[in-house]
Amino acid sequence: MAEHLVPRVTIFGMVFDLAAILTMAIVSLIVFFLIYFATRNMTSRTPQGLQNFLEWVIDFVRGIAGQLMESKVAERYVGLGLTLFLYIFISNQIGLFGNIVTVHEHPSALLGITSQAIEAAKAHGQQGVTVSWWKSPTATISVPLALAFLVLFYSHWLGLRRSVRGYAKSYVNPHWLMLPLNLVEELSKFLSFPLRLYGNIFAGEVLLWVLLPTIVHGGISAVLSVPLLAWIGYSIFVGAIQAFIFTMLTMVYISHRVVSHDPAH
Amino acid sequence: MDFAIAMGIVFGLAAIGSGIGMGLIVGRTIEGTARQPELRGSLMGLMFLGVGLVDALPIIAVVIGFMLMGKALA
Repeated sequence: MAEHLVPRVTIFGMVFDLAAILTMAIVSLIVFFLIYFATRNMTSRTPQGLQNFLEWVIDFVRGIAGQLMESKVAERYVGLGLTLFLYIFISNQIGLFGNIVTVHEHPSALLGITSQAIEAAKAHGQQGVTVSWWKSPTATISVPLALAFLVLFYSHWLGLRRSVRGYAKSYVNPHWLMLPLNLVEELSKFLSFPLRLYGNIFAGEVLLWVLLPTIVHGGISAVLSVPLLAWIGYSIFVGAIQAFIFTMLTMVYISHRVVSHDPAH
Repeated sequence: MDFAIAMGIVFGLAAIGSGIGMGLIVGRTIEGTARQPELRGSLMGLMFLGVGLVDALPIIAVVIGFMLMGKALA
């Protein structure tokens, strides 16, 4: 397995992953300019090019929300779903295109490179410590956690704003004996929702690092790199599916809070 | 060495469970499509949702396995 270090900076005990911050900024810019250029020169006649694409994506998100809520209610959350879908989709794919790697021969306090790490790398026949500057932002646990907490706290806020009594009642539904079970269900969402996205993308990137030496040491025998190519293809598919699932679950959690299942209301 | 065996057990058990689950999901989707081909579109969407939900559990097992491996080797 190719050894590599993630560039990390610790400020006041908080760890900042520089590679994730860099790619997050790049993904945000890509999403911003994609939407910006797709919405210039819009026409209500036959749409062309990027406008076609954007209309298709918006219809897709609207379809997800429309399955769970009335179209009038669903329309409010299409913007949130579209933002999440585009951001996560592009985040998942961006780590697959390539990598930027620097090799450090001298210890660096800023990046946390110690002289022991350099000696250990040299013992393995490398020039120095390899630092990877490119990855999917969603392969860092903090990014999926932030996105999931945003969605879950927003859904709880929507439920509270709708009716405090109805919100409290949802925990003792159908009977107060179910209270512990309902609490565990709500709390487990905070773990399972972000870990689903993080785990898929992180495991994909780890396997890429594992398979990478097959192409480096394989020489002219291109057959050895077939698993790597197959895994990249599968990762593209997984990235798209996970973006879809994250958006779908966002709409499911929001619809739980804003749609009344009680026929009396 | 024994740690490698432990990793193999973790990954293998996760794969068995999710394999059975995914087989059930896809199989039932095909059954449903065979009975009512006009529902293919909506069934496919539900299938991918279910596959994605099941997918999370083995992946979480693999990630925790990798984390434990990193800790044991460090």
